[in-house]
Amino acid sequence: MDLGDFEADNSVSCRLTSEVPDVCRSEDCCLGIDEAGRGPVLGPMVYGICYCPVSRKEDLKSLKVADSKTLTEAEREELFQNLSDAKDYVGWALQIISPNTISTSMLQSGVQLKEVFVDTVGPAEKYEEKLSQRFPGLEVTVRPKADSLFPIVSAASICAKVARDHSVKGWGFTEDLGEVDKDYGSGYPGDPKTKAWLLKFLDPVFGYPQFIRFSWSTAKRLMDDKGFAVYWEDDDEEENGERAAARMKNTSMLTYFKSSTGSTAPGNAHQSHRFFTERRLQGLDAL
Amino acid sequence: MSGHSSVTLVQWSTLGEAQRTAVHLMPCEIEYNGPAQVSQYLTSTIKDRKQEKTVSFRGRGLRGAELSCPQGYTGLVLKDVNPNASDQEDRTVKVSSTFDKLTYWNLETPPNSDDTLVMSMDWPELAEAIHGAVED
Repeated sequence: MDLGDFEADNSVSCRLTSEVPDVCRSEDCCLGIDEAGRGPVLGPMVYGICYCPVSRKEDLKSLKVADSKTLTEAEREELFQNLSDAKDYVGWALQIISPNTISTSMLQSGVQLKEVFVDTVGPAEKYEEKLSQRFPGLEVTVRPKADSLFPIVSAASICAKVARDHSVKGWGFTEDLGEVDKDYGSGYPGDPKTKAWLLKFLDPVFGYPQFIRFSWSTAKRLMDDKGFAVYWEDDDEEENGERAAARMKNTSMLTYFKSSTGSTAPGNAHQSHRFFTERRLQGLDAL
Repeated sequence: MSGHSSVTLVQWSTLGEAQRTAVHLMPCEIEYNGPAQVSQYLTSTIKDRKQEKTVSFRGRGLRGAELSCPQGYTGLVLKDVNPNASDQEDRTVKVSSTFDKLTYWNLETPPNSDDTLVMSMDWPELAEAIHGAVED
């Protein structure tokens, strides 16, 4: 699998697609959707779709695709190769969502879609109804564990998982960190290897490279515990109020530029013009 | 600094040996003063497009721009010579580095001419017009 486009800039999302088989433009097709890497604290999440003519479902079955989670890495690689070899009737597309981005999108490529199979962790019926309304004319099937029930979803899960594995393995750090130990395990927060890696590569100021999902509670907790506190203007209000109060008691750098108390005594303080307050400019006679 | 009008001394002799440095003004407060791996984590990941730079810090998206000091002005980074002095003592600072431009970062909003820092750069020109010597 060629991840060149993503590796060129792994801070943004990237779409990788196979050629659309001609037969998929003229015949009714079924399509499976699955995802890989939803849980891990690091690396990208990958949505995979795989499609083929409804009439070729049996051929797809004969490729012996199965739920990617039940396969070894080598088996997935082999099956992905088989899917690539079946390019006269099987097409796929991947959306790699970089850990640095949150986005989603849909496929739009001229494939004559008829049936769609989606794997879900949420309420299947609700999603099925929603998708059916959104895409009238499509037969939408949403099922938990769809990746083990429908070969086309298995195929999608294999594409997604292979892409996720490749990109994690070959992750090019844009940070200038020298040799980075790539023994980060599965990336799942419970994995001891992942935990050890997160502890080892924590920078007290910057936290982590962009490879890590900062919004995961595992990463947040470690940064809270071992990193320096960082406060943003849009942090929750109560805390901000306390911070603002603390700031007034000269913890902030800005107090540096405040005139000394002598000249701001209530008696002789003069109201600054709006020109200055808007620009946060203040007169200065001592630091 | 409370209740006592202490004097701040700037050791101007240190200006000569001060190095020019790159300065980033962050839209957050980092509870830390000291060296940090800026070039490794921040500088190396900055993306520079036409009018705007982007980077992320602690998982938040920042959008920034480069801003030059007003003509004839130099930016100074000052450092306490005796950081543990009590606020009853006079304060002595040295020039630790200088800059003639800096990169300021907004949290998620694109840099624009209404940003406080950009507007504050109007003052030197205005001050010159108000306070400058009047030519005949």
